[in-house]
Amino acid sequence: MKEKVLEVINMIRVAKNLPLVESVTDNTRLREDLDLTSFDMAELTVRIEDEYGIDIFETGLVNTIGEIYAKLQK
Amino acid sequence: MAVFLHSAEKTYSYEELMRYINTSSTYCPYFLSKDLYTYFANLIKALVTNQPVVLIDADSSPADMPYLDFALVNKPQEVGECSFKDMGELIEALCQSTSEITIFTSGTTGQPKRVVHSVATLARNVRRGEHYKEHVWAYAYNPTHMAGTQVFFQALMNQNTMVNVFGEPREVIYQQIERYGITHISATPTFYRMLMPFEKAYPSVKRVTLGGEKSDKQLYEHICKIFPNAKVNNVYASTEAGSLFAAKDDCFQIPANIRDKFRVENDELLIHKSLLGQSDSFAFDGEYYHSGDLIEWVNETEGLFRFKSRKNELINVGGYKVNPGEVEDAINAIEGVQQSLVYVRANSILGNIVVAEVKLVKGAALTDLEIRKVLASQLQDFKVPRKIQIVNELSMTRTGKLKRS
Repeated sequence: MKEKVLEVINMIRVAKNLPLVESVTDNTRLREDLDLTSFDMAELTVRIEDEYGIDIFETGLVNTIGEIYAKLQK
Repeated sequence: MAVFLHSAEKTYSYEELMRYINTSSTYCPYFLSKDLYTYFANLIKALVTNQPVVLIDADSSPADMPYLDFALVNKPQEVGECSFKDMGELIEALCQSTSEITIFTSGTTGQPKRVVHSVATLARNVRRGEHYKEHVWAYAYNPTHMAGTQVFFQALMNQNTMVNVFGEPREVIYQQIERYGITHISATPTFYRMLMPFEKAYPSVKRVTLGGEKSDKQLYEHICKIFPNAKVNNVYASTEAGSLFAAKDDCFQIPANIRDKFRVENDELLIHKSLLGQSDSFAFDGEYYHSGDLIEWVNETEGLFRFKSRKNELINVGGYKVNPGEVEDAINAIEGVQQSLVYVRANSILGNIVVAEVKLVKGAALTDLEIRKVLASQLQDFKVPRKIQIVNELSMTRTGKLKRS
């Protein structure tokens, strides 16, 4: 699951011509560290939803990678 | 005698049609048939005997039409025999018909609306005369919808031949064009996109008409290659008003005699009620009906305009308005793309996001990422689909339009 999240993030970064990230930690921040805009985060939710059937932003804001993992583990 | 219809490997002459109209003593007010000949024969019988008739899509199920009593469907009603001496007489009776013809809107969203028309409104734009004889029409529309009735009246009133190609695959359509020497095609842009890419020219076709949805320059170029002898024009028709105006290229011109029947408000085309059929579901703003079609004037004094999009088709993405047609145009212009469909997906962050399905030309090897990069260089960021799926077939509605849901 962690690899999949990283893969989706890199998919989004590639489309924006940003370099790939090698790894992320629980504390990596979506906006500040990964340069994701709200449009990118919208894409992130759609791609993760297609993969796991879970809308990670449904119950409120998600700021870090760790919070995504938490939503997916519920 | 002239051929009325080629359909499903069968040929029906006008003589046979007239014999049926004369000798049958019944018709069905609510008729559901997958067979195009029996569908037309029933419709004509209704019209020449001035009986009301409801056009029901052959694919309808009771669930689609909760307001219709399905027990009535295909129940014949006595109307008596006719005694037409020739087709000319029959067609005159048809033109004078006082039948009420009920058509349902096909809208890509929401419940269908019922609209009652007469032959007078449906055949308003039919051209007749020497110049219109000997035409061979590809019948490419759903026969129960407005555009299908337009082609039907144009062909029938000139005793032209129709060739049923509705719902047929590409190879069959090309075969029929050659086999029957089709001269006229009227269809949705989606139908023509299905004919791409260009492989061979079909010189028999003299006239190509596009209707129903917005089309792009690239498609025009392909059509001109496939049908090098054809004049290409566009037609604006709606279930509410029938066919209103046709024009060359991507512009429309409102004829001078009805120019005072239109207004434009917030880019939306408003149509005066005198041009419409009858329906309970029309909401009038004074004497005008909101068409939902967004246009821009090219030359207002001459009534020349360009069709931009459907009002309810605009996608709201985090407060930005995206016209899916514009995004499709950009995708379709990319080398290797055959056709695309841009639609909306609900999203908890932005409300909606734009996504797309893309069908590639045979042998083309484009990736979603490559398409996105091209689009990113041409469109504002919020218009670029956030997910692009390469598919074998796009989802389509029964009218042959693309389905945006």
